Amino acid sequence: MDGVAVKAEKLTKFYGRTRGVVDLDLEVRRGEVFGYLGPNGAGKTTTIRLLLDLIRPTRGRAEVLGLDSRRDGVAIRGRIGYLPGELALYDRMTGGELLRYLANLRGGADWGYVESLAERLQCDLSARIKSLSKGNKQKIGLIQAFIHHPELLVLDEPTSGLDPLMQHEFHRLVREMTEEGTTFFISSHNLPEVERISDRVGIVREGTLVAVDDVDSLKRKALRRLEIHFASPVPREAFAGIAGVRDLAVDGVTLRCTVAGSVDALIKAAARFEVLNVVSPEVSLEEIFIDYYHGEGRAP
Amino acid sequence: MVRAVLRNVFLKSLREQRAALAWWAVGVIALCLMTVAFYPSMRDSRGMAEYFEEAPEWIKTVMGDPSEFTTPTGYLNGELFFMMVPILFLIFAISRGSGAIAGEEQAGTLDLLLSNPLSRRRVLLEKAASMLAALLGLGLALWVGLALGAAAVGMDISLLRLADACFSGVLLGAVFGSLALALGCASGRRGLTIGVTAALGVGTFFLKSLAPLIESLEVWGKLSPFYYYDAAQPLKNGLSWAHAAVLAGAAAFFVALSVFLFDRRDIAV
Ligand SMILES: Nc1ncnc2c1ncn2[C@@H]1O[C@H](COP(=O)(O)OP(=O)(O)O)[C@@H](O)[C@H]1O
Ligand SMILES: [Mg+2]
Repeated sequence: MDGVAVKAEKLTKFYGRTRGVVDLDLEVRRGEVFGYLGPNGAGKTTTIRLLLDLIRPTRGRAEVLGLDSRRDGVAIRGRIGYLPGELALYDRMTGGELLRYLANLRGGADWGYVESLAERLQCDLSARIKSLSKGNKQKIGLIQAFIHHPELLVLDEPTSGLDPLMQHEFHRLVREMTEEGTTFFISSHNLPEVERISDRVGIVREGTLVAVDDVDSLKRKALRRLEIHFASPVPREAFAGIAGVRDLAVDGVTLRCTVAGSVDALIKAAARFEVLNVVSPEVSLEEIFIDYYHGEGRAP
Repeated sequence: MVRAVLRNVFLKSLREQRAALAWWAVGVIALCLMTVAFYPSMRDSRGMAEYFEEAPEWIKTVMGDPSEFTTPTGYLNGELFFMMVPILFLIFAISRGSGAIAGEEQAGTLDLLLSNPLSRRRVLLEKAASMLAALLGLGLALWVGLALGAAAVGMDISLLRLADACFSGVLLGAVFGSLALALGCASGRRGLTIGVTAALGVGTFFLKSLAPLIESLEVWGKLSPFYYYDAAQPLKNGLSWAHAAVLAGAAAFFVALSVFLFDRRDIAV
């Protein structure tokens, strides 16, 4: 058993002439939480469905848990748990019936575990799925992925539709399972979330893997937008030339800029004045990608 | 109870159809009882046979010998097995065949189902089997309805021959159901599948019905599944094993084709 849970080699998928992913080389190590980050349409779902053998590569290949994604699909799917990105469940069943059914297709399950998961996620298993909210359906989707204690979990945007409390509970579940050695491959278009739960991050943009990095170094490079409100007007010169600060704009009492990596120097410079408020509007992924794109994604 | 019923794809698919199947069974049995209830008055009215004697030749070619029309087999053939039974079996089978894969694909649940450790072939065969089981259920309801009706009005007909004719209907349904399954596997689109299969059903029905009238079509009529459904007159002569084998073979071919097509294709989200 080597240390690789997922491996893609020149994995490429075109839908007719539409690009899905192109020449993807990817390695997810056993035991890690790999965050697969990219904006909508980047190719995350395409990659994941290729791994599950739901769609077939145009060229290239993928290995999951050391098995070939095309040839050994049944064996692979027996050992992984999957949460579809566009989750659709059997509406006319109750959550409990659906989970029983899916467990039976895997040769049965420890029902006590299912119930404990349902309890932690506050999920009512007796209600018809048709009547559930999107968030509650998502919970059923998560439970079914965990039901058989898989070695590898492939989760496509798992927290979409979950309220913040449940997102937090989900993060705790991920942590607990990683301690038992479970590997996670989690796609997301949400940087803060990926930063919070991943060990490593792969950034995908327009079908290509732009960068793979430890989450710590991603944090060091990530762009943050800052807005600082002062009590009285501040001079622009006081902030010029601080490392990592870009797009600096000082407009009387308000400073706006983008910071790459640590905000430490900027904050220390600001502390010389009376600060009323610090606001950090979320940076769009697109901006982060542009940075990566120019930075290390492709040779110019 | 629920646990056992949700044991595999076959049983779960069957369970999904239970309400539909129950309503179909009630409807079919009611139809049989009503049809058979009119038989005594038909048998006793001399006018009917005479009326048919005067009918044009082509009607006799398509519908059969009018003097037979007042016999139990002739009556049931004309009233039910000629057109009504094929229509019912086709609607039922096409609805099931198109829903099995294409329906589930359009509903988006196929991703979840196929992420289990089951091969696509296995999923497909279990679904095909559940369609066949449902068709057998419908055939059984038809037989029960006719047997009850015949007993009630004292219609002189063999229960075994009735079973032969009902089973022929099941086989006809299996052909079009598995054709719909195959088209659904190829296209992933349920509406399209229903439309094309129904059109083929109507087309081949007329092909078989009109072929005896037009010399140049005579041979072509044998391409129609409907020919193998009733040309050998199962209600009168019992099931023709050769004709039944053609229908069963066609259904098996379409199921095999479905596996082939489904195995190769991308699943749509
Ligand atoms: N079934 C499909 N047919 C055609 N194009 C598709 C299909 N699925 C995805 N695409 C296209 O492939 C690209 C990648 O999509 P996807 O993998 O779903 O991205 P993501 O999951 O990152 O949002 C998009 O441009 C999308 O429009
Ligand atoms: Mg997606």
